[in-house]
Amino acid sequence: MTEPTELLHGTLDALILKTLAWGPRHGYAIAQWIETSSADALRIEQGSLYPALYRLERKGWIEAEWGLSDTKRQVKLYSLTSEGRERLAVETAQWSRFADGVARILLQPSPRTGSGRA
Amino acid sequence: MARFGRFSRELRARLWKPSVDEEVRRELDYHLEMLEHEFRASGLDPAAARAAALAKFGDTARIGDTCRDIGTQRDREHERSEWLAELRQDTRYALRQLRGNPRFTLVAVLTLAVGLGAVTTIFGIVNAVLLRPLPFADPDRLVLAWETTPLGRDFAVSEPDYLDWRERSKRFSAIGAYSFRTPSIRGDGGAERLGGFAVTHSLFTVLGVPPAHGRTFLADEDVPGGDTRVAVLSHALWQRRFGGDPSAIGQSVDLDGITHRVVGVMPRGFDFPSRTEIWVPLAPTLQYHRGDRRLQVVARLAPNATHDEAAADLRTIARDIATAYPSSNTGWGARLQPLREAYVTPQLQARLIVLLSTVAVLLVMACVNVASLLLARAGSREREIAVRAALGAGRGRIVRQLVVESVVLSLIGAVVGVALASIAIPVVRGIGGTAIPRLAEMSLDWRVLAFTLGACLTTGVVFGLAPALSLVRGGSGGTGAVDLLRGGTRTTSSGRLRNALVVSSVSLAMLLLVCAGLVGGSFVKLMRVDVGFAADRVLTGSVALPIGLSPADTGPGRYTRERVVMFHDALVERLEATAGVRAAAATNIAPFSGENTAMGFDPDGVPSERPGEERMASWRVVTLNYFAAMGIPLTRGRLLDARDRYPAPDAMVINETMARLGWNGDDPIGRRVKLSSGRTMTVVGVVRDTRHLYVDSLPPPTMYFSHAQFPWATMWVTVRTAGDPAVLADALRREVAALDPNVAVARVQPLMQLMQEATAEPRLIVTVFAIFASAALVLATIGLYGIVSYTVSQRAREIGVRLALGAPPRGIVAAVLSQGIRLAVIGVALGGVAAYGAAGALRTILFETEPTDAATFLGIGSILIAVAAVASAWPARRAARVDPIVTLRSE
Repeated sequence: MTEPTELLHGTLDALILKTLAWGPRHGYAIAQWIETSSADALRIEQGSLYPALYRLERKGWIEAEWGLSDTKRQVKLYSLTSEGRERLAVETAQWSRFADGVARILLQPSPRTGSGRA
Repeated sequence: MARFGRFSRELRARLWKPSVDEEVRRELDYHLEMLEHEFRASGLDPAAARAAALAKFGDTARIGDTCRDIGTQRDREHERSEWLAELRQDTRYALRQLRGNPRFTLVAVLTLAVGLGAVTTIFGIVNAVLLRPLPFADPDRLVLAWETTPLGRDFAVSEPDYLDWRERSKRFSAIGAYSFRTPSIRGDGGAERLGGFAVTHSLFTVLGVPPAHGRTFLADEDVPGGDTRVAVLSHALWQRRFGGDPSAIGQSVDLDGITHRVVGVMPRGFDFPSRTEIWVPLAPTLQYHRGDRRLQVVARLAPNATHDEAAADLRTIARDIATAYPSSNTGWGARLQPLREAYVTPQLQARLIVLLSTVAVLLVMACVNVASLLLARAGSREREIAVRAALGAGRGRIVRQLVVESVVLSLIGAVVGVALASIAIPVVRGIGGTAIPRLAEMSLDWRVLAFTLGACLTTGVVFGLAPALSLVRGGSGGTGAVDLLRGGTRTTSSGRLRNALVVSSVSLAMLLLVCAGLVGGSFVKLMRVDVGFAADRVLTGSVALPIGLSPADTGPGRYTRERVVMFHDALVERLEATAGVRAAAATNIAPFSGENTAMGFDPDGVPSERPGEERMASWRVVTLNYFAAMGIPLTRGRLLDARDRYPAPDAMVINETMARLGWNGDDPIGRRVKLSSGRTMTVVGVVRDTRHLYVDSLPPPTMYFSHAQFPWATMWVTVRTAGDPAVLADALRREVAALDPNVAVARVQPLMQLMQEATAEPRLIVTVFAIFASAALVLATIGLYGIVSYTVSQRAREIGVRLALGAPPRGIVAAVLSQGIRLAVIGVALGGVAAYGAAGALRTILFETEPTDAATFLGIGSILIAVAAVASAWPARRAARVDPIVTLRSE
């Protein structure tokens, strides 16, 4: 098994937005969801989630309310706003353009080994 | 549904909202606990699970700090946006309110527009004249340097004295001098007289303004014998004569028959000292007579020198010069004056400050009036406010909403006011632009607009706050709201405030109108002042004959003394032969032209008892018919006539003031007078006093010399005409050109125009005051009418009951009327006292009018009381005419 990959700068926001697109969640649940959904391929320092959450809230892409957890504890539940939903679409498009571009370059047959294969 | 969900969330968030600290701590703690729980479930012991959780989470302290920072910012932004949203809402609401009451809105907006428009206009004047820095580099370091006469009066500077100052002074970084020179430029379009100055090359350095094209003068072009035939053009002259072509540099121009080379063009707007189109080198020399003082001197203080140090230094130098040259300089000193004072005289400054304070009073009055209008309207709004209070709107929120309403009102007022000001400003420029320095450049610049905005916001808050607070206190506080909703009874606690507003409105109007009345009265006196001669139907124009710069200079077209006399004799003769001319003459200085020549004199050759104090008199060189042309009557002896020609003994005519000053009632005819120039004159006649320097100061002692004995190269022609003097302007130009096509006439205009320019400043002040006065009267009427009609409408029910009970309508009208008059009388009395106090400050701008002029006080007082009576009677009559049943049912 390979080591989990460090997140690229800026992608955490997109991941949070995507996570919340499934419904309101508290911080811990978001962290769990990201880790399990990526099949543990992505590793985040869980604490770094929170500054990102506060930032997104400040930008108005997500909003928070206090609610009760399954264990009847007061927790802060985050949910996506309509601006956040738009933002998610933008980020997704940006990401796939980026990934596409990177893939185009990396997956191109390199001239030296390429000629051997051909 | 979504909206409701959001609403419920917001509601809950408002119900329980932890501080940012608490929020972050709870959130992070929960996360750590869950992690710990997870690790324990996977079999770690509590301590290891704790450690693993912390490791997986990261640096809690740092993360917590970051979150707290962002959270705080988030909350602040949220508050701000909420505040803005509320403001938007309040503004929308305010606009709806104002639209719903068009009559109220119109009156309030107009009232504020008058106040703010007046403030904007006056501040525009103050800004243009007083506040804007002079258009030179570091203008506060510039000073004018004067010689002072033995009597201590400022005087011009002689060339040798200037050169000594330049040599010896250590407290100036640069010093320059200039002297009037008005050459005629000759070319294709005939001759044209230019406004010009001969200046030292250092003048441009002193002012710190570089030329727009070419260069200014070099040091070796500014010495006798140097290449002095060079000229620098003003931007306007460059445009006019050369079409703005940069190749003008190096071309030649013919000035009074001498070819000068253009070396530079000054930037647009540069004008020093004033109305200058061309500058030529002065080339001062020590060879000139030290007692011949003609130069103006301007200097820049050295970087480390103060004004006082430089002045002391210059005084020391002047003392040294006086010791070295006692015959010309005994008793003469030196004085420095900030250059700014040359533009803004203390009197002008005083006048502007009076204007600004007056306009502030006007604005306060507008505030009082709108406040009382708002208060009058408040009656109908008490119920609305009570409903809002009952629905849970906080007191602060209601006050804020009302203040937003008044600020919106005053912003609209400001927009209309600025529009009014933009109409008034060209008028002001037209009246005072030529006579008041720098007023011509007056405009609505950013500084004026910022001032207006500030005044407008202050105004809005000031007039809005009082009624708002009174409404909240009286209308919705405590049980008031409930009572209002239940029974529709009206609170009357604001009645006293209303009365106070009426009284202050009237007293402010009284203050303003009395001041305006006093100023207006002095203006009428000023316009009717007897200047001592008949100024109407006189045409004037200035003719400068080119003379040699030295006795040896007898180039082509130069005028000798004899030719100067012959020219003017011929010109006068030709003019008198022209149809429509009653009499023609010439003098070296026309009345009110802003120029003067003065000299010390000793009656009977006896010097003044007090040493160093000589008597000074203005002197004028005149041709024989001058007294006839100007209408100055002879009171003793004879006028100058054909006998008074070289080589007959020098004769002069003096005015009555000089006769009193010199001979104290004795007959001065035949007496001899020694002039400070050394010449001895014989008095042959006495003429009536004339005011010829300023309209608003007493006639100065004056001597008239015969032109045939004192030929003068630059003369003003004065022509008395049978009809409109302006018609003869072309004839004057034609006759001058016929005598010498190379000589041009400048400033051809009726003498009345010169007089008007001389009185432009007081006229401007009075015009503005007159505008204020009418505005004040209108405002006072609106304010009074608004309040009284409101009071009457408040009492409609009571009036209805009274009428129903059989009270005579006339009695009701009388009651309302007497209440209005009572308030007006109190206001007039208070305002009268205030005006009495303020009038002292007006003394500086009044002319032969006492600041306590009883007629003005009584007149204005009765006008205001009459206005109050009309404003009360009208609505009272209306109320009394209404069928009582209608009134009673409507409640």
